[in-house]
Amino acid sequence: MRRARAAVAATVVLALLTVIVAAAADARSNKATVTNITLSGWSAGKTEDDLLQSVVNDFNSTHPNIHVDYSVINGAYDVAMTARFAAHNPPDVFYVDSSLAPTWIKQGVIEPLNPYIAKSKYDTTKFYPGLLNAFKVGKNYYGFPKDWSPLAVEINKSMFAKAGIKKAPRTWAELTAAAQKLASSGAVPGGKPLCLPADWARMLAFVFQNKGSLAKVQSPAVAAAVNYYVGFFKKGLAATPTQLGVGWPGEALGKEKAAIIFEGNWLLPYMKSTFPQVGFGVGPMVKGKVNGNLGFTVSYSMAKDSKNKQAAWTLLSWLTGKVGMSKWMSLGLALPSRSDVKAVGGRAPFLAAGPSSKGWGFPNFSATLTIMNNDLQGVIDGNKTTAQMLADVNASLKG
Amino acid sequence: MTSATETVPTSGRGSLIGARMREAGWGYAFVLVPMAVFGLFFIYPLVYGIYISFFEWGILGKAAGSTAGLENYQTLYHDQVFHRAMRNTFEYALLVVPLEMALGLLLALVINARIRGRAFFRSALYVPSIVSSVAITTIAIFILNPDGLLNKIIGSDQAWFGDADTALYSVVGLNAWTTAGTVMLFYLAALQSIPTDVYEAAAVDGTSRWRTFWRITFPLLKPAHFFVLVVFGIGALKVFDQFYIVSRGTGGPEYSTLSAVFYIYQEAFGSADFGVGASAGVVLFVAIFLLTLIQRATVGRAEIG
Repeated sequence: MRRARAAVAATVVLALLTVIVAAAADARSNKATVTNITLSGWSAGKTEDDLLQSVVNDFNSTHPNIHVDYSVINGAYDVAMTARFAAHNPPDVFYVDSSLAPTWIKQGVIEPLNPYIAKSKYDTTKFYPGLLNAFKVGKNYYGFPKDWSPLAVEINKSMFAKAGIKKAPRTWAELTAAAQKLASSGAVPGGKPLCLPADWARMLAFVFQNKGSLAKVQSPAVAAAVNYYVGFFKKGLAATPTQLGVGWPGEALGKEKAAIIFEGNWLLPYMKSTFPQVGFGVGPMVKGKVNGNLGFTVSYSMAKDSKNKQAAWTLLSWLTGKVGMSKWMSLGLALPSRSDVKAVGGRAPFLAAGPSSKGWGFPNFSATLTIMNNDLQGVIDGNKTTAQMLADVNASLKG
Repeated sequence: MTSATETVPTSGRGSLIGARMREAGWGYAFVLVPMAVFGLFFIYPLVYGIYISFFEWGILGKAAGSTAGLENYQTLYHDQVFHRAMRNTFEYALLVVPLEMALGLLLALVINARIRGRAFFRSALYVPSIVSSVAITTIAIFILNPDGLLNKIIGSDQAWFGDADTALYSVVGLNAWTTAGTVMLFYLAALQSIPTDVYEAAAVDGTSRWRTFWRITFPLLKPAHFFVLVVFGIGALKVFDQFYIVSRGTGGPEYSTLSAVFYIYQEAFGSADFGVGASAGVVLFVAIFLLTLIQRATVGRAEIG
């Protein structure tokens, strides 16, 4: 009897052990099939962070074999990412601003996506070409734009009414005429008709409108566009934000120190939250010889050092695909970079620039931008000629 | 017995040497940790930075095929932006250090005098030195705005940080004010260590206050002058944050707030050209080192008290 009891007890213990070992093995095998990857970007505010987290949650729930950890990099994003690249420990998928893309691509820290595109037959034709090209070198794609914003014309409605102007200017001629009318009618007391920063991130749009390009920056077309932009200062029709005592043109519009500015989609929530009492209108960017605009865009790119490239590609292609981008657009925080994804209402003046926009970025970006903007301030102040500035910029772009 | 008497002194010498060795061993043991930290975080980066400066160096290290050479230094030699950054840095240091010293000494003399509320003034004058430079610069931007408090008082619309003619001098003024409190503390310590009998002798001789200051106080503060000159001179040559903030990261207007460290930061982290950034760092290091040697030879040694 005792022996029989012992045999039963041993059998029960053995059975329990078998169950535990089997469960552990099963758990381990289940775990082994889930690939963990990381997604990082900078923070553009809690609303945007929360939205991206919910988009990531959607991805995680529809892709049981991949788990994405989304982590925000606070502080100087480019510095933090440089350190992580150097340590060969970057996030698998991350934001790349179009201005940083040429530098990081040249440094070899971003994975070219062509093999993945070919393998999964990913359709790249839906992206606006000017935005996609910001992340392309030769025939290689290094990321897909997640969203973007071009520049548009923003006007102070009451100042325009006071000057007897009915609509936002659409051409260079209309812009000049509107600025002169605003000045002569005294519609902008204590300010200037235009607030233009000494910044190529605004002036380059005018260069493109005049059929100019950075590839041939020392050309008559570029010089004419620069002279048109700087001409507003010479005629007393424009002032820089600093001269108006504000941080940026949006603040000048809000504080009614300027009647016309050129800013992007980001102006709308700013005006709504900071200057809700100011009536302003938005029109498409002015046109010169042709339509031309800047696309401020950010891509999702994959790290060359990613250890889970296939999973990273699945995430990247989903986020920039129609489904992922549609979810991302749901709160209207940004504009879609794909022509087959709709933006929320009221963004038509911005979306109109899709086909004619070029990504904001160029080789040797940081050093060249310093030269561009300091020289432009010199041209505005009359301490430098347009030709000198363009020669400096040309040398830096090649540097 | 003889052998015993012979071995005693030998053994005494041995134990003395042993004791000295043990003492030295403890000494080295105590300095080992700080020296290791110093070596790891100061000496190693310094040597490595000099090494990097001779190569084309990117985010992932030495560029393929890069060989040791002076190309980065040649780049600096031809780069007008670097020249401007160095010129701005030295101009800034030449202006701000004497101003800090004058202001700090003046405040120390006032605080050292027997006035009411001395402790309060000492703390109050030191406060700008302990406030974050980012916070204080941001406030200064508001005060020196065309619509700001300063212009309201003097009836002007000058964009102090936004005008190439005034931006550098505005930062000089701002930093002289914020650091004067720290300089004051060093001068105050030095003032209080001057023996009172020399002043008593001067008083007996009927020497005026003005003459007493220039003939007794000022010369006896020579070690403090040197200390402040070296320490704050080096600090001034490393200026970065205030220039970066007032120009919103552009170094403008018209390069007027572009400093040497700003240039290094931009080359290294903006352009990912660590070779050029490191070579600019080496040039700045050599300049600071030489200046310190010159100051040491001309003004004196750094000792306070």
